Amino acid sequence: MSTDDGSMYTTVDEADRRLLEETEFDADLGAEMARDAQRVAADELSEVEFYRRYHDRLLAEFDVDDREVEIPDPDEVDADDVNAVDRVEEAFGGLGEALRNVGGEDAESRRSVMKKGAAAAALGLGGLGSAGATTGGEGDGAAGGAGGGAEGDGTRWGMTINLNNCDGCLACMVACNQEHNLSRGANWMYVFAFEDEGQGEETNFLPRTCQHCTDSPCTKVCPVGARHTREEDGLVLTDYDICIGCRYCEVSCPYGVNYFQWGEPDVPESEVDDDHQIDDRGRWVGSRPPEGVMGKCTFCVDRQDGQMGEEKVGTTACQEACAMDAIHFGDLNDPESDPNRHLREYRDGQENDRSDYPNRKGHTVSTFKLMEERGTEPNVRFVGNEPSPHAEQVEGPVAYEDVGLVDDRKEVLDRGAAANGGEEA
Amino acid sequence: MSVDGVDVTGVDRDTLTRPIRSFSTRYIAALAVALGLIGVWLFFYSRQLRHGLIVTNLADWGSGGGVPWGLYIGAFIWWVGIAHGGIILSAAVRLLGMDTYQPVARLAELLTIAALTCAGIFILIHVGRPDRLVTSVLPAWPTRVQWSPLMWDVTVITAYFVLTATYLALTIRYDVTRLRDRLPDRLEPLYSALTVGYTEREDEVVERMVWWIAFAIIIMAPLLLHGGVIPWLFSLLPSMAGWAGGVQGPSFLSIALTSAVAGIIIVAAAFRYAYGWEELIPRAVFQGLAKWLGFFSLIFLWLQLQQVITGIFAAPTTLQHATEVKISTPLYWVAIGLVVLAMLYAFATALRPDLFDLRALVGISVGVLFGTLTEKVLFVVEGLQHAHFALYDGVPGQYVPSAVEISAVLGTIGVVVLFFLVVSKVIPVVELHAIEDHEEVDA
Ligand code: SF4
Ligand code: SF4
Repeated sequence: MSTDDGSMYTTVDEADRRLLEETEFDADLGAEMARDAQRVAADELSEVEFYRRYHDRLLAEFDVDDREVEIPDPDEVDADDVNAVDRVEEAFGGLGEALRNVGGEDAESRRSVMKKGAAAAALGLGGLGSAGATTGGEGDGAAGGAGGGAEGDGTRWGMTINLNNCDGCLACMVACNQEHNLSRGANWMYVFAFEDEGQGEETNFLPRTCQHCTDSPCTKVCPVGARHTREEDGLVLTDYDICIGCRYCEVSCPYGVNYFQWGEPDVPESEVDDDHQIDDRGRWVGSRPPEGVMGKCTFCVDRQDGQMGEEKVGTTACQEACAMDAIHFGDLNDPESDPNRHLREYRDGQENDRSDYPNRKGHTVSTFKLMEERGTEPNVRFVGNEPSPHAEQVEGPVAYEDVGLVDDRKEVLDRGAAANGGEEA
Repeated sequence: MSVDGVDVTGVDRDTLTRPIRSFSTRYIAALAVALGLIGVWLFFYSRQLRHGLIVTNLADWGSGGGVPWGLYIGAFIWWVGIAHGGIILSAAVRLLGMDTYQPVARLAELLTIAALTCAGIFILIHVGRPDRLVTSVLPAWPTRVQWSPLMWDVTVITAYFVLTATYLALTIRYDVTRLRDRLPDRLEPLYSALTVGYTEREDEVVERMVWWIAFAIIIMAPLLLHGGVIPWLFSLLPSMAGWAGGVQGPSFLSIALTSAVAGIIIVAAAFRYAYGWEELIPRAVFQGLAKWLGFFSLIFLWLQLQQVITGIFAAPTTLQHATEVKISTPLYWVAIGLVVLAMLYAFATALRPDLFDLRALVGISVGVLFGTLTEKVLFVVEGLQHAHFALYDGVPGQYVPSAVEISAVLGTIGVVVLFFLVVSKVIPVVELHAIEDHEEVDA
């Protein structure tokens, strides 16, 4: 779209336009609104006028009039009324929120909700009504104690892993390895079996994925920007086309979740579908990495992009495989997502006698994030007891070999080294 | 630490250009050794090219039970250290007018160029996709340079390389012009390229430029290379107990200076021996260098002590664990022992000059270089074996460098030897200024 009034305003660029076009909404309307939103920001167009201009078309397009948003009739808005601006802002804020919630309970998938959220953002609504557009006041109450309930805009994929439910069957690891065609020993999902001080002989389990940290050291240190955070949903991914294999991300990650592709991958390129590898931005970030490049858990980016069908959006292979209801994956910004709901329900389900003990907190469930004090802001939250520094890894009930997995990758690699790299890893 | 009575101005120009004009079987032998070392490395490296990094003994830290950075990175740090120390020493000679060391100043600069090249080789063979070093790094530079310490690193190494090469080129023009009649005619095109546009009027300007470059090198020393970007690769990562912390900068710098003096002693002694340069590089120069070696060794040991004491007294669990493992590693004590030996020898000969023996000093310098390489590799490897995330401690895993990795160290030593063999046939490796004052030359 061209600007007739010179180049003062940026036009909607190609990428945004494609995003707009992907949604089932009117791309021209979006582009026009985005430009005018900039004019509003530059104080050249009053918010009231902006609102008046798009009110009807918006109503027609998004069909939000039967939602719980009150949009005042533009003709009743008095341009001289100082409060009108506030009211309009409020209305737009509500609109943004409504857009995000459209279809939440309907049959529509989360993917299209996600896209609507993106469309709303592209329309510049978030900026206009920033106060109102923030979703999730209720989420905070639900997950507040664990830090990291619903906050911020858009999607933020994450997990709640309930250690009390995990029985160490390793089904998640098997599923992950198969789905992502991982080489032996590259356990993107890894289940620790450990004993801890003060817990007797009891064996505990800690399933560990990439924590998809919001403030991730790995993305900071990557010299070429191959390791990056995907803006639309917070996934931390590696661009296999750019990575030079310096392994700096691996040494900077506090959690040891990276697995470098030291040799030929076990599963050759010809057997991996493009759908699983290329994400919705056209970048090669999915499935196992090629030789000489870094890999790690992707939170099943192919699923989140709808490449495995709309019904798989918002799921992961490990979560699907877990029969014990230990792994819960979903949008942490959505109070009704699986990880948030599970935590809420689990807390509610635990006894907590507040009539005799009025000073008790709202719940008695212990939650933690791994090494939260490192400031990485992990997006995986655990229910259960955090392993102490004295925790020691022990043999679990199911041996890795029994389910076709390799625990110690070095063994595989050493054999490869001894055979002059003849073997794969 | 000036040394009295060093005056080599009596040495003539023929002596200075002796390496260029002579040719011996010993030269051939040295060439064969250098090429042999490089050959062995290339033989092993071809395997890595074919099969990937799996032929090394590196592996993933975490559940993989290994270390993703090992000898390659250790050797990379070591070479950068030698390079950085070399250029600091040469800059100090020019800046502070320490004429005593003028005969070895250019050797130090050449060592810097050679060592930086070797550091570059180690980056190249360390990464999984060397083919992308240009295609990925260049486009990412503008956006990544403010973030990634690795990008700072690449930037600074390139800058230092350019700076040192400029420095050398500027001073060489002067020498080549004046010694032209003693230089071989078959290299004429090279010499005319080197001295293109030279007039005597530039001498003064060049001298000032060289002074400023030297000044810049000294000023930047505490920030760049071993003073900054290289230790920052590690000290900025809080996830590894043995790495994080502010002492790494000074500690790395002390290692750089110690290694560089040792390297210069070896190179200078080799030239002195090969070309009968007893007059040109007199014993007193080595006695002075020995004192520097002792002094830097002392600082190196002092900084190690700082780290060990803070690591075991009342340190957080993981740091304590990392330190305990470090001090129970016999190889660490071998490294420290070699440096202690150097320090004791240097101070003993300072007190009793009759104890001084050049061959012993060279032997001790070789020991120091072995010690600093060992310490650096242990630093990298053990750092990775004791992460704060302690659950992995149960995963067994030991790192012993593979033949491929070890051959690379030998190969790069071969590269340095080859470099000196070739360069010494082309340009004077000792400056004319060392034997003639400016006025004399111009006269
Ligand atoms: S867990 Fe490690 S690899 Fe994953 S985002 Fe955090 S720092 Fe990066
Ligand atoms: S290994 Fe790849 S993704 Fe990791 S820091 Fe290096 S270039 Fe970036």
